[in-house]
Parts: sequence; C-alpha cells; structure tokens
Amino acid sequence: MTRRVCIVGGATTPFDYGPTGFESIEGGAAECIREVQRDIPNFSLIDVDLMIYSHFSVHFGHQLCSEWIIHDHLGLVGVPHYRVENGGNTGGSALYAAALAVKSGQHDVVGVIGWETMDSVSQSQGSEFIALASDIRYELLVGGIYPIYYAAMANKWMKDNNVNEEDVASIGAKNRNHAMDNPKAQWYRNEHKYITVDDVMNSRLISYPIKKYDCCLMSRGVAFLLVCSEEYAKKVNPDHYCTLDGLGLSSCTIRAGDRLNFPGWTKRYGEGYPEMTEFGACRASAEMAYKMADIKNPLKEIDFGEIHDAFSTSEAQIYKALGLADTENIAQFLRDEQTHMHGEIPMNPGGGLMGYGHPVGATGIMSSIECFYQLAGMIPKKHLSKKTEVPNANCGIVNSHAGTGTSISNFIMRRH
Amino acid sequence: MSVTIIRKKKKFSDQPNFSVKKMYRPSDVKETGLAFIGHEISDDGKVMNQFLHYDQLYTIRHGWNSKFFKGLLEGKIWGTRCPKCGDIWVPIRTHCWNLDCDLEITEWIEMPLTAKVHTWTIAGWSGRSSLKRLPIILVYAVIGDSKVAIANELHGIDPWDVEFQMPLKVVFKPKEERVGAVTDFHFEPAEGWTPSPMNPEKERIKKLVEPVYEWVKTMK
Repeated sequence: MTRRVCIVGGATTPFDYGPTGFESIEGGAAECIREVQRDIPNFSLIDVDLMIYSHFSVHFGHQLCSEWIIHDHLGLVGVPHYRVENGGNTGGSALYAAALAVKSGQHDVVGVIGWETMDSVSQSQGSEFIALASDIRYELLVGGIYPIYYAAMANKWMKDNNVNEEDVASIGAKNRNHAMDNPKAQWYRNEHKYITVDDVMNSRLISYPIKKYDCCLMSRGVAFLLVCSEEYAKKVNPDHYCTLDGLGLSSCTIRAGDRLNFPGWTKRYGEGYPEMTEFGACRASAEMAYKMADIKNPLKEIDFGEIHDAFSTSEAQIYKALGLADTENIAQFLRDEQTHMHGEIPMNPGGGLMGYGHPVGATGIMSSIECFYQLAGMIPKKHLSKKTEVPNANCGIVNSHAGTGTSISNFIMRRH
Repeated sequence: MSVTIIRKKKKFSDQPNFSVKKMYRPSDVKETGLAFIGHEISDDGKVMNQFLHYDQLYTIRHGWNSKFFKGLLEGKIWGTRCPKCGDIWVPIRTHCWNLDCDLEITEWIEMPLTAKVHTWTIAGWSGRSSLKRLPIILVYAVIGDSKVAIANELHGIDPWDVEFQMPLKVVFKPKEERVGAVTDFHFEPAEGWTPSPMNPEKERIKKLVEPVYEWVKTMK
C-alpha cells in the first residue's frame, strides 16, 4: 500500500495583467507562502524537503531557469528542486510530480510553486508565443493562435452534440460572475462587472463559434500549494487537510487533425474516437483518477470541480470527457445549468481561467487551491461571500489541460 | 622517447552543401542580440519597468521531413505511407504511428491535390503576423486518402458559405512567391461546388464577421 498524499494549504497572488502592483515573481512566491503560514501557523519552510516549480514559457519569463531566482530567494539552498513544464497542463503535471514524490516515500513535504508573467509582451504577441506550442511547421502560420484550433474542434463538437452558442455562452457568463465573489480574480480586479449570456453572444468574434467572452484571460500570477504525507498533514493542519485520492495523466496528439484515426485511441476506445471533437486524454486521465478514488458515478459522487475553462466551449467538452453527460443529454445538461452554483455539480466556483485568470504555470495550482479551499471550509474566509461556496462539499475534481487537449490531468480531492 | 600518434577522426557523414539559398528577411530587421533598450518609472517613483529586446534568427532543420517542404516549392504535396499497415499521412510521419508496426520507416507518396473539409472555423482575431488578413476561414481538411486532417486556409468563398465535407482543391501560390512553408498553398472549393442558400447560422456568422472587415480596414 502506497502512502496517502495530502494537501494542507495554498495561496495565490492576485492575478492581473499590466503594470499595477506587480511584486516580482520571487516576491509573489514569498507572499503566497506567508499567506499559507497565516492559515496554518505550524507550517515552516524548514520542513520542505522538495520544491517543484511549475512554469510554462521562457518566452514570457525572458529568463532561463527563473525557478532558481525564486528558490534561493525563499532561503531554500540545499533543498532539491526542479521545474515541470507541460503546456497548459504544467500546473497539473507539477501536482502529479509532487504526488508521486510523496507517494513513493522519497519526500514528505513538497512545495509546488507555479507562475507566469504573460504581460511581459503585447496580447497579440502573447497569443503567438502560446501558439509556438502548436506544431509550428504545420500549424502556426495558418492558424496562428490557439482559439482558432479550439474553435474548429468546438464547431464540429457542438453540431455533433446539438449544443448551440447560447448553451456554451452560459459558461462564459457563469465563471466570470463567480469571479466577482473572489478578490484575487483578474475579472474582479479589472473589468469588475456581472455579465449575461447576451453579453457573451454580443462580444467580438475571435473564431466562430468562440467570442471574446468565451475565452480565458491572459494573466500574470504566482501560486503556491503545499503537498505532503498524512503524518505531516496531521501535524500542521489536523482539522482541515484534504487527501488526493485519485490522480490521472494522459496524452493526445499535438496536432488536433492527427487524432481522427490514431491506432492508440482506436485500440482503447474503438473507431472514431476521440475524433477532432472529444478530449481523449481527459477521458483517459479521468478514468485513471476515478478508478484510484473508487468513483463509479462521477456526477453523483463528485460535489464540484475546478476545471480548465480555457474556452467556454472546452469546459463543455470537458464535462462530457469527465463522464458527467453523454451525446444524448449534454445539451440538456447545459440548459439545466447543472454546473452552476445551484446545479448538481458546480464548476469553477473560484472563477476558473475565464474569471480568475490563466497565468499558465500557475493555473493548475490555482485550481487545486480553490478546490482545497472548498473542501477545507475556507471559502467564507477567502471569497467575499458564501455565494460561491459549495455547501457540505466532500469531494472535488481538479482538471488541468494543455495544447489542443494534448496533455490532460485529473485529480480527485476529498475532505479527510 | 615515446611518440604519440594522433589519427584524424573519421567523419560520421559528409556535410551537405547548400548552394541554393534564399533569404526573405526584410532588410530592416537586424540581429542585435540581447539589448536593454529603455525603461520607464512610475510617477510615484515606486516601480520601474525595463525593455529587453532580442531578435534571433533560427535555423529550422527539416532533416528527414525535408521532402515535404521542398515539395511545396515545386507545387507538390508529399505524403508518407507505412509499407506494413498502409496508413497514409499528410502532415507526414517518417515512422509509422501504429505500435504493431514497430516504428516502421515510411515511404514517400505524391498526394492528389484534392481534399475534403473535416471541420472549420472563421477567425476574427489572430496572431500579430496574421491580423491584416482577417477574417480567415481555417479548415482542417483530409487530403486524398490521408488518415489525418491538415489545417490550412480556405479562399475563394464568403466565410459564411463554408460547409462540413465540402470538396476542395489544393491551390499553390505562383512559383516565385513560394517559400517552402505550408502557406505556399491554400484550399479553394472544388470545381462545380456551389454554396447552399442562406440560413440562420450563415446570417449569424455574417453578422459576426462584418465588424471584422471594418476593423481590418482601419489597420495601418
């Protein structure tokens, strides 16, 4: 029997974009840790025996090995450290690495720090930098930015599943409105307004069927999560720690057009899957996590999720890949608002990538932190009200997602 | 007295010679290396930003994939095929993707210049280098009997007229404008294809696209 992996604390800097109030990446990391120390005063950096750094792109960081700057700034010489990079799933992959480190028994207390400074270049240049994670020989010059690839996938998915623009627009409005209850969220700190489905529908075209308010935010931010053994969890946060009961990580093609007939998928799930429409890596990694956490019916057994809403369309596609709905009922599932706060399984009560923000390396860590806050009963303390608290939450799912669905991780977290 | 004999190391392979060389780089782009080129200080004196510029020329070495990109210069689409399982790909694979074929080395085949739309989108926003060409119809299309779809632009129709499964032809730029990149070709509707009548979705797309045309006109 391997060891249980626990989460005892976490915090982010405010997510933002532009010149306001930037504290430096190492300063931000230090402030996240100081906030965690206020939440769990028995935690000291002296206890940390591994640091994993979660950072996507040197193009944004304009510094190779910027984790080295953070690490010694925190006073951590001698403690082992390395960086994990896996596109938009960098945060999820870093959490996966931390969980393995604890599970193996090699480490007891693992700090995970994620960050990205996407405002070091213009928005359009930033979009192009992200698109360097597409196959630049074939796709960069003809698509240019990720929303275009996602729009092409979503357009067919929506037709195949009878989902319309309004159905997905409700997700764009939902997550931004959740962010209005979260003082660290970029949407709260900048645009700061409640929006409607009509606002999403009337926002400017990015790539049909995706409009501006169907897209996530480009952000700057830092996040810290503390992952540890159960022994340490009982020592520093005995009443409110969470257990990471399921982990899954899976992969798919870099070019979305390559997954129409991929033998590896055909063998696993049969002909015609995942097509260019479904996220096979999400399904496969969810299945791994569910099996490990003994989840048979995710819709009934999981209370809420913090998932990778890079686009409102992809959040809807993720619902299906997580097994919350199928082709027959996904449209009705969306129309019944099953993932709103009043629904069966609220998704992204923290605001998600569209509301909280998407500083790539920090994003999966932020999602894990929001999931932890819900389970640890910390929402009234961390959010502005109880509006975005999932009552009596016992089990949450965290999802982190890269490329065109090229790498995806899922985690099941439970209140202990 | 001992004598050390140093033998000349045998080369593993001959260096290729590149006698055909073309540079399309604008003359005003200079490779300056890393340079701190300016700064700004906030009025309250608390925060400073510094501007770092670098401009780097990369060499993308196409290596074993070269035939595909060289083919574009010649107005040809090359694909590859696994001699074991028969799967065909554009974009190409130099080794088979089927694990049962044990990374079999594939063979080159010239593809027909016909394709079919698998899925599509209409871009109203793009990366910095593409903004002036908006709106762009991007399709993922299957060329010939390829097992995969390739992304490229569809020209020659109004954006709202694009359809799933519509037949396409591959059209190359004039020879002198080709650079050996996928932008050397685009798709156009196949001869004889006509758009279906306007419908509510087409009207919706038209409404979304109209401001894009206006916005692009205002760009310098």
